[in-house]
Order: sequence, then structure tokens, then C-alpha cells
Amino acid sequence: MSYKLPDDKDLEAMVGIVGKEYATNNKAITASYLAKSVMGLESQIPDIVVRPKYVEEIRKILIYCSAEKIAVSPVSAGLSGGFACPTIKPAGVLLDLSRMNRIIEIDTENRYAVVEPGVTIGELWAYMHKNTPDWAPPIPDGAPPASTVMGDAIDRGFSLYTSSVGPQGDNFMCGEIVFPNGDIVRTGSWALPFAKPFYKYGLGPDIWSTIMGSQGALGVVTKVAVKIFPHPPYKTVIVIGMSNPYDMQDLTLEIGKQEFGIAHNTVMVQGGNYPLVMARWPKDKVPHDYEFFKELGISKWWMNWECWAQTQEELDYVTNRINKMAEDFKKNRAKDPDAVKPQELHPKQIASRLKKPNKIAIPYSFWEAGFLFITWYTPWNECAHFAENYCATMEKYGFPPVMWIASIERCRQAICMPIICFDSTKQSDYEKVQDMNRETTEYNLKQGWLNYRPDPYIHAPLTYSQAGMYWKYLRMVKKMFDPNMIMHPGRLALP
Amino acid sequence: MAKTGMERLQELKKEIFKCIHCKACKFAYSGEPDREGIGEYAGKQGTVLYEGMVDACPAGIEYGWEAFWNAGKIWIARSILTGDLEFTEEVRDVIMPCITCGQCSAQCDNKIPTVDIIESLRAACIESGVPMIEKHELVDRLVKELNNPYGGKAEERFKWAKDAGLGKYVDNKDAKIAYYVGCTASYRQIEVAITTAKLFELLGMNFTIIGDEVCCGSPFFRIGAVDTAQELMNKNLEAFKNVKMLYFSCAGCYRTFTIDYPKWMPEGEELPFKTQHAFELVARLIQQEKIKFKPNKELKGKVVTYHDPCHTGRHFAVDMEQDMIRESKNLLIDSRKIKEKIEEWYEVPRIILRKLAEDVGIVFKEMYRIKLDSMCCGAGGGVRAGYPEFSLRTASLRCDEANAVGADILTTECPFCWRNLSDANDMYNHGMKVMGILQMITEYNLLDMAEKPKEDDFLTPSIRDIE
Repeated sequence: MSYKLPDDKDLEAMVGIVGKEYATNNKAITASYLAKSVMGLESQIPDIVVRPKYVEEIRKILIYCSAEKIAVSPVSAGLSGGFACPTIKPAGVLLDLSRMNRIIEIDTENRYAVVEPGVTIGELWAYMHKNTPDWAPPIPDGAPPASTVMGDAIDRGFSLYTSSVGPQGDNFMCGEIVFPNGDIVRTGSWALPFAKPFYKYGLGPDIWSTIMGSQGALGVVTKVAVKIFPHPPYKTVIVIGMSNPYDMQDLTLEIGKQEFGIAHNTVMVQGGNYPLVMARWPKDKVPHDYEFFKELGISKWWMNWECWAQTQEELDYVTNRINKMAEDFKKNRAKDPDAVKPQELHPKQIASRLKKPNKIAIPYSFWEAGFLFITWYTPWNECAHFAENYCATMEKYGFPPVMWIASIERCRQAICMPIICFDSTKQSDYEKVQDMNRETTEYNLKQGWLNYRPDPYIHAPLTYSQAGMYWKYLRMVKKMFDPNMIMHPGRLALP
Repeated sequence: MAKTGMERLQELKKEIFKCIHCKACKFAYSGEPDREGIGEYAGKQGTVLYEGMVDACPAGIEYGWEAFWNAGKIWIARSILTGDLEFTEEVRDVIMPCITCGQCSAQCDNKIPTVDIIESLRAACIESGVPMIEKHELVDRLVKELNNPYGGKAEERFKWAKDAGLGKYVDNKDAKIAYYVGCTASYRQIEVAITTAKLFELLGMNFTIIGDEVCCGSPFFRIGAVDTAQELMNKNLEAFKNVKMLYFSCAGCYRTFTIDYPKWMPEGEELPFKTQHAFELVARLIQQEKIKFKPNKELKGKVVTYHDPCHTGRHFAVDMEQDMIRESKNLLIDSRKIKEKIEEWYEVPRIILRKLAEDVGIVFKEMYRIKLDSMCCGAGGGVRAGYPEFSLRTASLRCDEANAVGADILTTECPFCWRNLSDANDMYNHGMKVMGILQMITEYNLLDMAEKPKEDDFLTPSIRDIE
């Protein structure tokens, strides 16, 4: 596939659409949109950056670029689904959507919020905290406050109540998409001109689902309606420690199965291993030996249950049930019963864990210089196998075995996130990361596990090679929406 | 042998590569979206919601493009190091309007020394042959000719001292303690120089003002004119080599002597004297109950707020943090100590303000963004000289924040902040009085001595230097 390298005439066209203050090919500015970390190591300096504010501007840009065969990569504003999805070869035009930052509507009766792509999770959280404090938006736990609501949701990520209500993608009600031919399509109930975004499915087959996970490769999403949920006043965190991932997996599954019961109160269920604490500090300034962490009261593995309830009575009931189930598990089914024990948390630690959004996912660069989340979905009862294998592989390649795991939809799925802490100044480290990524991808695909957000050079090709028929239809979908293949080319190997 | 900007940039490579482009550095209180605040306030520069996270990078706010926010600049630095980008005037014009306030550094959970990176990037840019912007070239020429960037004559540097009857302190040979006045207080805000020297006199300090004092070099370290800055540094190090303690009234000069000089001095060399700001001495004497303040009818009931200068606040806090990180063997354990030390540091000027509230009857009211999250006054980093309109708009934004808490008096402890805030206050009609805390003490004759300090009190090191 060949693309036109944008020239001055193309820049003029962009300036004509958005104004000279919002389109540039200034090399210093275009270089500032690079990002090789967190969710991917691929990034190319775009040729032109455009900062539209209105849907009509996006429509004109896409029509022009499609006619000229200029590649276009949309970036929301922040990290999740935004900056981690930067322009890759062949570069072209980067659409920085950060000026589209309106919180359009919060409807607490129908329980949705309508936002533009540039609305950050920090902004929406602060807005709702002030104006509708009894309701909480589906922001991801751990993503930086500057990441966007839409970026996370469109990646089908997770939210702060993901264990209770399911993957972030499920929180979408309706969307508005501009396709490269300039058509503006509204999905779900929004397909009808005067309908509220009250139902995520529309007229016949659902078009929205094809956009989920598209990483900007089909069109530009310009508006979304996402579900909001109650933000009750009674909250706490329970932590149970254990010595191995299997006990973590099995106890968590037992609690997750308590559907129509306490499982719905355990909004965020996430855990991991002690290197998750260790790797937040510089490699040479923190003990690596587990004994140090043991003295701090940190188990080798643990699981947090963040519990929300409408009354103190309900909350007490939930916490008692979890503790009793943990006791029963310890007595009767744990592989290492002695190690299964509650971790006492100081009220400040509880408050810190309940704080949303937060910056807990940021400091893994402190270990050396750079990190990468390589995230996978597994059935919940296979997450221990995943963790065991991946940690061993990380150690084999010389990386600390940092593993974070969270329940999605009451342990129907696990989102497993090894955090690869490496020295990004060294080419040899880059190569090691990619070699490890390739090795683990091959292994994981054989187990039937799915990558969370396939990268263009390892996950996508290896995955599609095992799902030929699905790939064939995805390419047909791509061709239908984007006949000149201008949208984020290469990103999903569609091409 | 002194280092080049490119060498410094290379040294910082690992720090630069730590940036994950998370953009937390855009905001004050980046981890606190639901922080309680004072609400929305419609000021001269527009409406700002002083709650939760607030956009806080002045250049990002002014120019909007990703390149002007900190993370964009860090990725520009990375592109330079990887060869993806070359120094050009386009690069210069993006990296120069940064005020180097360090807000980004304070927000970074990967502890990236952003100010150091941006200054090294600028130095490397200028070394590469890219010309300075015109206004920076002018100040560079002036300082080379006259040893100050204002174009003041050398013989007039201490005219204020003679005019104020303080001439005996100029080249006072038997003093071990010196007052480094700086260019802004010598040629522009002479009130700062006079009130500081008078305060020292009232306290009974035997001090000297060194006649060979030249510009500290701060603007030139900031704008990448490192050769000029190092030349000035060498002159000052020679001029002050025989003193034990050096006092400052300017946050920028204090920062430059204390943080920049050791960084740019040949490896293995150390400063021959200790440094501290005059407000540290006053705060210490209050804590020791050696001084208090007299009541004052004019000031009673006035709402006074305090602007933390970036150079005494965040730059020192971040520097202390970097030092402690370097020295720590177990940062997980030591991190709490670092936070405590920084908090203690930020409390120093507030000790004076609380005492003024107690004794004088002022109403001390904090702005929303304070301490590590404080908003810059807009003057630093060569921006006041290079981009005066942007600089004043930023100062006006800060004045808006002071207006939002109903301040009658906006205080600070830096003549450069004072000047910019004062200019914005006048230009945009913010209706406040802008002054230094020490200036307030001296001008309103507030000092009430309970016990005359001894020489040892003046030689006590800064709390920065106390383990």
C-alpha cells in the first residue's frame, strides 16, 4: 500500500479547514507527538499535526485525505488509547483531538454521560465529583488522570468498577463516528435522530462493535455516551495475601461466582505479586529480596477487593462474607494454607487505594528508564498459569517479574498485565523486550489467550495468522469503511 | 573542564528516556482530581476552576501545542538524542518559551528532572549554532559588556546602598558574612536591596556587600548561554571566595549559586561558602523567639497571600529530592523522609507569615495552588526578557489566583517575581499591593527584637544543609 507524503499544498488544505493556528508541519511540534512506552514501542513522527475542534472539520479533513491518499491517525488526548496509539509508518496526518473536550451531558436518570474524545478521566471525574457526586464515571483505575475516557473505552479496557459491571467496552451506549468518505454515523439508539443514548444496540446488526478495538483504523469517533454508575458512600478495601498465583486465582474465583450477591459489590478486584511494589522504585535503591517485603507485611501474591455498598450494614455483610470465604478456602482448599492471610491496612492505605483516578501505573519507569504493559485476556481460571509462565519468561530475559491481574465481570475474564521494566536507552533491551514478546505471544496464542491491544508487528500478525477467516472479514469491514485505507494504516495489520 | 550543554544532555539521557508521555505534568495537583478548592473565579485572564487538577504549565496554556507542554519537550530532547530531530530555529522557538518553573518536575512520579533537561537542551541548541532569539542576544551582549543584563553601569550597582546610608557595608573587609544583592535588586527593585540590608543591620549582622559582585548568571543558565553563565560564575566564585556564609534576597540568584554552580563547576570542586535566603534567617529567629513583630493598624485585617517563587520553592524541593534519591540506599523507606523534608522547606516563609498574622493581625490566606503545586509568576527561564507579553499574562493569571482569595497584599520573596507580578498587577488592574515579606517587615517597622542575635545565629546553615 502506498501513501502520499503530505506536502505544503496539503498543509495549506488543512490550514484552510482548521485555521493556521491549528495545523502545522513544524518539525519540533510534530516530533513532540512521539511516544514509545506504556502500551507500545512503535511511534513515528507525523508529517502534519492538525487539532480540529468540530466534527465538520474532521469530516472535511478525512474527505481530503482520502481523496489524496494521505494516512490519518486520530489521537484522543491522553495516554490510554491516545498517546499510546501514535502515528506509525507511513506517518501522514496526526489528528490531535484534545480540543474536542466538552462534557456534553450527564443524565443521572438514564445513567449516561456524553463526552467528546478529548475529555480526560481527571476532568470527567472532577466534574462529576462536583456536580453529580452520587455518580461515578467509568474511568480506569490506575491510568493517569490525563488519559481519556474514550481512549480507554474504545480499547475495551477496564474501569474502576470493572469486576462488577464488565469490560469498559460494555459501558458504551452509543457513538458518533466520522468515516473517511465524510459520512457521520451514529450508532445504537442514537441512529434515530431524536433518541437518547439509552440502548447500545441499534437498528439490526450493531455497527458500533466493529469500531471497538479498531485503534483509529476505521474512522474517527467524535462523541460517545458511556454508562455511569452510583458512587455510594460506603467503601473499603480488603486484601488477602497468599504465596502463589493459584491460591489467588482460586479464592478470587470463588468470590467472583457470588453473583446476584457480594460479587456485585466487589467493584474492583485486582492483585499481583510483590515485584509490583518493588519495581516502582529505582532498581539499585530498593531491596530485591522478598524477605524485606515480608517484613513490611506484603505477601508474595495478594488480591484486593474494593467493595462499594449503599449502607454500612451492606458493606459489613460483604466484608464479613469475603473474610469467611477466605477462611474456608484457607482451611479446605488452599495449596499453601499457611500463607493465606488478610493483610491489615492502615486507614490511610485504604483511602489511598480508594482514590480515583490515581497515578499508580506511572512510576515503573523509575526502575530503569521505560516500561511496557503487555496485556492479555485469559479465562479467569487460567490466569495463574499465565502469571506463572509469564513471570518465568520475564526472569529468563532479565526483567523483574512484575505481574498485575484484575477480574473483569466477576471473574469471567482476567486482564493480566505483565509490566516490562527495562532500560529504553539500550537497543539491546528493546530487542530483548521484542524477543520476549514474540516468545510469550506464540505461547499464549497456543493457550487460546487474547492480546488486549495487539501491536502491529508482533501481536496482530501472529494472532491473525491463526484466525484467517476472521481476518478476511475484518479486511472487508475495513475496505467498506475506509476504501482508500487511510485510517491509521499498519496499526492493526489490516493493513 | 566545564561541561557543554550536549554533554549534560547526554548525561541526562536515562532521565529523558524515563518519560512515558503520560502528561500528568500538565497539571497542578495531577493526582488529585477531586481536591477541594475555592471554586470558579472569573479573573482578568478568564475563568479558572480552582479545584481538582488545574492546567499549570504556562507555555502549554499559552501556546496549546503538545510541544510546548513539558512532555512534548522531553520527547523533543529524546528525538535530538536519537538523531530523529536536529537543532533548528523551529526547535529553539519551541523550547525557549518555557518558564522552567519546574511544575512538571514536581508532578512527575518517575522523578524526571525536567528543568535540568530543558536547560541542557537549550544550551545544546545554542552550542549547535542556532542563534539566540534577538532579545536573549541583547541581554547576553549587555552582561558581557557590563556584568548585568539591565545595562546598568558597574559603578552604579551599589548606589542604592550609599543613598540609603548603607555604604559602610560595601567591601566591609572584616565580615565573614556577605549579602549577594543581584542585578534586579541593584538596578530595578532597589527596595528589596535596601530593606534586606536594613534588616541585616537591625539584626546586628556584620556583613559585606562585595564590590566585585557580578550577575549570578541565572538568566544565562536558563536560556542556554552557558559560556556566558560560566564566565559570570567564575567571577563570583573569585569575588566571594573568602566568605563563610552568603545571604540572598533573590530566589533566582540563590538557586543559581546553590544548585547551578556546583553542577557546572569542574568535577570535584565545591562551593567555598554556605548559602541561604534572608527569609530563612528571619524564620529561624522567630522559631528561636529572638524576634517578634509589632502590631500595625494599617496592616491589621489585611488579607495577605504568598506566592512561592519557583526558584526558592520547587527548584530547591526537587533538588533536595534528587540529592536524597542519589544518596538513598532504600528509597521505599526513605521516601517519607523526602516528603517531610520538602514540607519543612516550604514551611519556612510560612513561619514568618503566621507570626505576622499572630502579632500584626494580618489575615494570611493561601492561594489554591501552593508549595510544590504553586503556579509560576511567569518571569523565569528567560521568558520575561524574551516573551514579555506571555510573561505578563502568566503573572496576571497568578494575580487572578490571589484575587480569588481576596488578597489585599500579594507577597513573595524574589525581586524578579515581585517585578513581574507587580507589573501585571498594574497593567491588568488587579488592585493589590505586591511586596516582599521582608520588605513589609522593614517598611512598616514591624521588627521587635526580644534577644539580639549572635554571629553564630547568622552562620547557622540553612535547613537544606541539615541532615
